Amino acid sequence: MRLAFWLYEGTALHGISRVTNSMKGVHTVYHAPQGDDYITATYTMLERTPQFPGLSISVVRGRDLAQGVSRLPTTLQQVDNHYHPELTVIAPSCSTALLQEDLNQLAAHSGVPEERLMVYALNPFRVSEIEAADGLFTELVKRYAATQEKTAVPSVNILGFTSLGFHLRANLTSLTRMLQALGVAVNVVAPWGSSIDDLRKLPAAWLNIAPYREIGVNAAAYLEETFAMPSLCDTPLGVEPTMAWLRSLIAKLNAMGAERGVPPLVMPNLKAFSLDGLSAPSGVPWFARTADMESFSNKRAFVFGDATHTVSIVKFLHDELGMQIIGAGTYLEQHADWVRKELAGYLPGALMVTDRFQDVSQLIEDEMPDLVCGTQMERHSCRKLDVPCMVVCPPTHIENHLLGYYPFFGFAGADVIADRVYLSCKLGLEKHLIDFFGDAGLEYEESVAEAPVVSVDQAASVVDQAVDVATSASSAPTSSPAPVIADDGEMKWTDDAEAMLKKVPFFVRKKVRKNTENFARGIGEPVITLEVFRKAKESLGG
Amino acid sequence: MMQVTDDIQIIKEDNVTHSFCGLACVGWMYQKIKDSFFLILGTHTCAHFLQNALGMMIFAKPRFGIALMEEGDLSKNEPTLEEIISEIKADHHPSVIFLLSSCTPEVMKVDFKGLAHHLSTADVPVLFVPASGLVYNFTQAEDSVLSALVPFCPQAPAGEKKVVFLGSVNDVTADDLRAEAEELGIPVGGFLPESRFDKMPAIGPDTVLAPIQPYLSRVAMKLSRERGSSVLHSLFPFGPDGTRAFWEDLAREFGITVDLREREKAAWEKIRQQTDLLKGKKVFLTADTMMELPLGRFLHHAGADVVECSSAYIIKKFHARELEALAGVRVVEQPNFHRQLEDVKRIKPDLIVTSLMTANPFVGHGFVVKWSMEFLLMSIHSWSGVINLANLFVSPLQRRSNLPAFDEKVWLEGVMPSAE
Repeated sequence: MRLAFWLYEGTALHGISRVTNSMKGVHTVYHAPQGDDYITATYTMLERTPQFPGLSISVVRGRDLAQGVSRLPTTLQQVDNHYHPELTVIAPSCSTALLQEDLNQLAAHSGVPEERLMVYALNPFRVSEIEAADGLFTELVKRYAATQEKTAVPSVNILGFTSLGFHLRANLTSLTRMLQALGVAVNVVAPWGSSIDDLRKLPAAWLNIAPYREIGVNAAAYLEETFAMPSLCDTPLGVEPTMAWLRSLIAKLNAMGAERGVPPLVMPNLKAFSLDGLSAPSGVPWFARTADMESFSNKRAFVFGDATHTVSIVKFLHDELGMQIIGAGTYLEQHADWVRKELAGYLPGALMVTDRFQDVSQLIEDEMPDLVCGTQMERHSCRKLDVPCMVVCPPTHIENHLLGYYPFFGFAGADVIADRVYLSCKLGLEKHLIDFFGDAGLEYEESVAEAPVVSVDQAASVVDQAVDVATSASSAPTSSPAPVIADDGEMKWTDDAEAMLKKVPFFVRKKVRKNTENFARGIGEPVITLEVFRKAKESLGG
Repeated sequence: MMQVTDDIQIIKEDNVTHSFCGLACVGWMYQKIKDSFFLILGTHTCAHFLQNALGMMIFAKPRFGIALMEEGDLSKNEPTLEEIISEIKADHHPSVIFLLSSCTPEVMKVDFKGLAHHLSTADVPVLFVPASGLVYNFTQAEDSVLSALVPFCPQAPAGEKKVVFLGSVNDVTADDLRAEAEELGIPVGGFLPESRFDKMPAIGPDTVLAPIQPYLSRVAMKLSRERGSSVLHSLFPFGPDGTRAFWEDLAREFGITVDLREREKAAWEKIRQQTDLLKGKKVFLTADTMMELPLGRFLHHAGADVVECSSAYIIKKFHARELEALAGVRVVEQPNFHRQLEDVKRIKPDLIVTSLMTANPFVGHGFVVKWSMEFLLMSIHSWSGVINLANLFVSPLQRRSNLPAFDEKVWLEGVMPSAE
């Protein structure tokens, strides 16, 4: 037992839903109490899904337990009738896992054909998000992948891209653009956007690409073992790793092509990988050599995250931007050995392995790095300390689910990351100036200073988003009269009216003050009394 | 199907889905009671939920946390929370600790009452709050918190006739309600809860309890049983109609006759633009916050066509006046979401008031939505809340009509690759 505030990894149910929410024609039914389907909101709000995610809940109520009844068979029927999934995954939550019910038998009572159901009952106290997601994806690949003819042209599967993954769409676009430039076909992307049928045809590809250590590598290993498909599990993050990745891909495909009498692929002119086809594919190698970046050379960076990004970002900052790495860590204990091996020689001390954000926060406070690359939690910790921070991996925030094209993978990804490093850090000359002369002129405004700490970070979560929108809705009444008097002259407020105004949230206080004064002028009141303030509120709303 | 009165029928179905569990109440309760700490005995699931729902407050030294049950804790007879409680006291110095239950310890049949009693000290009581999704809807956990506070409300002497408002509202709304009551000549005893643990209102046999939120039936019942207080049965003070009924009925409890017809008329007049727009609009309310009955009633009186008003739980006596006012409207308790989806497709409502989980997919299906959660977080009470309330329904309709035409075959392409 320990006191926890925030955990890095989600639950097993979350991991399962990430896979099924990625796939066409696959549904998850949670056998769980009301509220455990809060997970649905992570998709409908972070990914803003325009369809209902393939997630339903079969609600377990206290009364049902007492009476020994289960809604599961009925829910399965309803889901089958309503969504017609090819496969429904049934998963217990932490509380219902303790009931030790025979979910297979309950599922059988639904009358839905056995081959369309799959009970995936992990121990939620032992297995978390990543292991559950990777485990289910591997299970599905084992269940459906079928022996078949290879495609005539060199082709790959892209494995491990999963709903709520970090900059997932942009990464996928970046990879597929590079594959296009090479003339390599994409056979299947999975689980993101794939159907059961797509899983069946996985073995038609020549090779599997699995760039994420967390999800997809095990499925690639299974396919390699069972269907003799080679795999490429390196992460093309950074310019040099992308070059190495391309060379490795070409070599592996050409080895297969030679056996099959297909002409070899050649590395095109690197301009072919640029957005306009006319330029260097990335600005990073030149940028790193400029005087701008030279002033970055003494900047100390700390990196904390999942396995894939911790390793790749440390290497990128060190190898390509020439920054100092003062430490790194991961919250994925099961991948810590791999991270240690990959980062041998990069870290001045031991790799930090913890799932307690407080420990990471403490370390940042002790070290006060010039740049932290971390998760959403490090971003929060750093805000408190005024330490520059960029989010480089999950757990994420609505701010990490943007509309624009911001890949982390490939040449375009290297540019995006370098830009973010540059924008996150205090710039070189500016920092010298501040260090030398102090930060005159940078004081905060009064309204910022009196802000409660919780307001530092609006919209950090689904409910906050609602609060945010609620706030903006309140400030945009559709029919209340617009202030007609724009006189800025001071008006007198009685003490009790002033005290009441103090209770209005700080971020709308100025506006409320102004509107109230305008209202008072409109009705000819020279002084804002409590009475006038109330009348104003009644008249103007809220 | 149950009959409430002759012409009101409540259709009862089998499920509440796509809504939160009681732990969500921490989000507003810890902000309301400023010297409190909310400790949840729960699992990774509870922590993941809270960080997704309430994430931002975490780093501001939040006054809530999870006593995290790990696998090894499952085999222990009783959880040992002493160390965690000490840690909380040292870091936060709360006046009271609320101990919230969750599904896993409830399934394990942890003796929460005994546990809370054992952890309580004279200085810092630890109060048990049932909050799991096994029993209650999420807003009802506030009911549990208020019920736990009852022993800490001083006993008001017989003859002290005052109103105590039941429900957490922000200070501005509380001040409004207090001032309005005083203006009508109604003596105010306070609010349950007040914003500090040591300031809870005195409640006695002559206290009139005025619930201002529709999900607080248990604490009202408990107080009327234990203290002999009377409970106001009226409409909830939302909208011109509800506000007038609320104040007139409350005044009557104090032997004061007031006629607020003119006030109501003026309030409707103020939102005429909004009600003009709502008139005849088909509105569908899915079950989420348990505020659906009064919201549906306001819409009904505002001239909207409420095609379905569904709610997680309907408590016949507590909600009687709202149900009467909803006569003729289709009212559903524990609605089945699959059935609702079919009905929505058929009825094609102009506006759907629905949970955070379902809002965007409804938009994707071509509907205009409003988050039900917003009604919990906005000042919509009494006269000063009327414009806010009306605007909440109207703004999505207006906003949508101002946006350019939308061809979903183009602009939804690839947004959700898992969609067929």
